[in-house]
Amino acid sequence: MSEDTTIAVLLDDGPRRIAAGTTLAALVAELGHAPGAVGTAVNGRFVARGLREGLQLSSGDSILLFQAITGG
Amino acid sequence: MHRESVGCESWSVAGVTMTSRLLLGSAGYPSPDALRDAIRAAQTQVVTVGLKRTLVSGCDNGFVAIVRAALAEQHAHLLPNTAGCRNANEAVELAMMARELYETSWIKLEVVGDEYTLQPDPIELVEAARVLVREGFVVWPYCTEDLVTCRRLLDVGCALLMPWGAPIGSAQGLANPLALRTLRARLPDATLIVDAGIGAPSHAARVMELGFDAVLLNSAVALSRDPARMARAFRHAVEAGREGWRAGLIAAQDFAVASTPVTDQPVLLGSNEPLGSG
Repeated sequence: MSEDTTIAVLLDDGPRRIAAGTTLAALVAELGHAPGAVGTAVNGRFVARGLREGLQLSSGDSILLFQAITGG
Repeated sequence: MHRESVGCESWSVAGVTMTSRLLLGSAGYPSPDALRDAIRAAQTQVVTVGLKRTLVSGCDNGFVAIVRAALAEQHAHLLPNTAGCRNANEAVELAMMARELYETSWIKLEVVGDEYTLQPDPIELVEAARVLVREGFVVWPYCTEDLVTCRRLLDVGCALLMPWGAPIGSAQGLANPLALRTLRARLPDATLIVDAGIGAPSHAARVMELGFDAVLLNSAVALSRDPARMARAFRHAVEAGREGWRAGLIAAQDFAVASTPVTDQPVLLGSNEPLGSG
């Protein structure tokens, strides 16, 4: 039986499994977003674009991705 | 001969000088082209935008690209908002994100305290403003017309105030003109913008006649049958109201005051007979 090398996280409040060791920058890329196209927050705290590469996601992390939209 | 142009009197926010006093929201337009045409017709120099989670919002169909292009064309500015936030922490985090995504330190600070009226929460609003000012933001708080809350927002360093005219999207106009007049009178040096509740050009003119510095609106233009035409109507209304205020409105009276300078009673030339006689 092979060892599970994934971890469970919440992505926009939905369950998702990602490879252990995945950085926030890698997740953004894996989801098909250009780095400048989305804003990111982990566990309710904003994570600046320049810090994503150094942020390795942990089991149970809640990741939110935001994009620009129209607004009033 | 000196001839002053209507609507060209400038105002400024954090060192940025503008001439248009009509600020426009970008939500709810039937198409990107309709939004672009409305921005052009309004000749606005500030357009509000938002942020939303990627998974629930999907593609924005090019609306934001249209806003960016239209703004570049008019040398205008983006004003991101923190719509949807329910407490100071959420608003601060979203503002940080908006600054990165939109590359501006301007933020329209919204912290809703009641789901039914979408009334701003004054406590959370002041706290968020305090943090954001410290972080270098130029804070445009969407607030109620409560004088003391407005003072607190200025105290923590907000660049201006944006009291509501009426609840967002209600199109009621000015629900509490007395409070707005009081704000203007008690905060004579503050930049005051009425935001929300405006439904008709006459509402915007009324705001400006009260001495407010600008008007921010969205639904009244976006949801009209012809957004570009309505944007133009609002531009004229804002300019007319501002000119009216600058010219000095006369005081309302309870009774008639004759405008024609006759004395006592009209005199009919060539007749000494009283009126109504044979």
